[in-house]
Amino acid sequence: MSGTQTSVRDPHGRAPSSSPVSLPPGTQPPWLIVTLREVLVKAKDRGFAISTMITLVLIVAGVVFNAFMANRGEDFTVMVTSDAGQAVIQLADEAGRADDGNVTFTAVTADDDDGALEQVRTEDADAALLQESDGIWTLTGKNEVSTGLAQQVGESLDAYVLDQNAAAAGTTGEDLLAGSELEESLLEGSAENQLLATIAGFIFSFLFYMASIIFGMAIANSVVEEKQNRVVEILATAIPIRQLLYGKVLGNTILAMVQLALYGGAALLALNLTDTADLVGSIIPASGWFMVFFLFGFLILAAIWAVLGSLASRPEDLTSNSAPVMALIFAALFAGLFASGQLLVVASYVPVVSSVAMPIRMLNSPVALWEPLLSLVIALAAAVALLHLGEKIYRRAVMQSGGALTLRKALKLEQ
Amino acid sequence: MLQVRNLTRRFGENTAVDNVSFTIPSGKMTGFVGANGAGKTTTMRMIMGVLTAHAGDVLVDGRPITAADRATFGYMPEERGLYPKQPILDQLIYLGQLHRMTASDARAQAEELLERFQLGGRGKDKLESLSLGNQQRVQIAASLLHRPSVLILDEPFSGLDPVAVDSMVELLRDRTDQGVPVLFSSHQLDLVDRLCDNLVVLQQGRLVASGSGDDLRAKAPRRHRLSVSPDAGWVREEKGVTVIDVAGQEAVLELENDDAAQHLLAAAMARGSVQEFSRIRPSLSEIYREVSQ
Repeated sequence: MSGTQTSVRDPHGRAPSSSPVSLPPGTQPPWLIVTLREVLVKAKDRGFAISTMITLVLIVAGVVFNAFMANRGEDFTVMVTSDAGQAVIQLADEAGRADDGNVTFTAVTADDDDGALEQVRTEDADAALLQESDGIWTLTGKNEVSTGLAQQVGESLDAYVLDQNAAAAGTTGEDLLAGSELEESLLEGSAENQLLATIAGFIFSFLFYMASIIFGMAIANSVVEEKQNRVVEILATAIPIRQLLYGKVLGNTILAMVQLALYGGAALLALNLTDTADLVGSIIPASGWFMVFFLFGFLILAAIWAVLGSLASRPEDLTSNSAPVMALIFAALFAGLFASGQLLVVASYVPVVSSVAMPIRMLNSPVALWEPLLSLVIALAAAVALLHLGEKIYRRAVMQSGGALTLRKALKLEQ
Repeated sequence: MLQVRNLTRRFGENTAVDNVSFTIPSGKMTGFVGANGAGKTTTMRMIMGVLTAHAGDVLVDGRPITAADRATFGYMPEERGLYPKQPILDQLIYLGQLHRMTASDARAQAEELLERFQLGGRGKDKLESLSLGNQQRVQIAASLLHRPSVLILDEPFSGLDPVAVDSMVELLRDRTDQGVPVLFSSHQLDLVDRLCDNLVVLQQGRLVASGSGDDLRAKAPRRHRLSVSPDAGWVREEKGVTVIDVAGQEAVLELENDDAAQHLLAAAMARGSVQEFSRIRPSLSEIYREVSQ
């Protein structure tokens, strides 16, 4: 080969044998090389880059669209033919401006009912508010009457008629309604936070679900690829097989966390830019906890996926033997979507499921600090135990060629 | 020098490798031959530590082998395969780094090897886009990249065209010139003849012969070819002579000792003219055929 090779090694070219961990200068520990490769290969994968970009765009577009819909004012033009009608629309306009400040009503007076309806038909007006001779009011739209319009006009008509009737009885509407006001309040949080918690819970559940499958599958596929191609025999002679497993788990965990942070960051940035951030403050602590729980839950799943990969002999085997881990991932998803009460409390301590359940609990109601910490300790213990067990199975199974293995068979194998 | 001592491996009831011992001397090419299922691959996998031995051990310069030793070996497994969907240069660098090379050293070495295999411009191509023969060359490059201290190659020549075989031989000669022991299995006996200084023959898990070519030839039966006129049929009656084959004027004979040879020659000259009387030097492939019958 080249003339340079004689200088470093002894005549047999053998490195010192006593310390496999000692590294020549300028080289990296094997697990780090494996980790970097996992990350680089995935980052260079065009499909992965495109799907990440599309998801990012969808997240930002979703936030912007929501903000646009929330801020968008509505202007209703309503045809009337009487002073009473005009007064009702006037009331509706006042109420609309008072509520969010962005719903307005304009009354346009027509000469007669037909003229009013004609304006609706030509879409010059949104609806016509007409009173028939027997006193019954009708709100007529072209082919629909928007709910916002109907509701506000209905309420204003109530108030108007109440006032009229009260005046006829020698009193006022306000007096008649005195003492009937009902205020809603919540013991914990506020209604707005509750809605936000539900939405955030959905998002947490789906992010965990997606990352568990995308990056979990990536680990399993990368293991089975090496096993199928027998590269693993070369790798096993070069480095301890444990380091290969850790490198893969770590690499994909980093990818999953970076992607999660990217998605979360994009959503927060978009929320800030669109000035809808005032409510976001309340979900930030829970989001931080979610990142931590995500990490621990993902480590557990990563160990399981790696074992599944080592048991398979072809990528096709993965579809059939991944049922248990898919069940676990679905459990986490459904706990996030539907669990409440005692069930949610229990779920928040079950490893993997807790990754979604605990942050959601923390969104819904105050949770003492020891609870997430305890849940994390349980998840960490499970992660360590599973990585350990996973390493044992992986080491045995990954060298076996031939058909797919069962867990029991793999544990009985000798290397 | 690498020694294999009493290696044994069973798969269930079947003993795939049974108490096998042999030596792979430094700076020599050792051919590893035997029929399919003789236990060659199992032995190589045990040497590489991919498979656990049920008995026996592997020694490097007289001491038990360690994982650190194996990390400096070059290994080409029986079933080929690197990463089909990765560019070839990238994966060679990766493997080099795992073998404790720096990234830049691994790159330089990989580029040089690819150049030698006429794959210089294809470093960025995915492995699967190469022809099978070229994939094989990349596989060889992967096993040589980190300047291995020992080479264990399972059927390294299968699937190579003659030009690639020559480049491969040249590379291996470079390694043995540096003192590296090379063990390679092959079914191509002509190559074994051409390349090997040493031979190890397995049959159904058992060692049937091992040693240098000269040793094996010395142990082989001493055969002579005799070509006389008018006819060689009379040799059947000679003492100390075992006839392997007689046809017309030609005979292949096994002679007990030098006296028998001298006697036979004198007899032949007395009966007519002698065109040829020579010692047959058996090729390694003939020895292989002989011992594995």
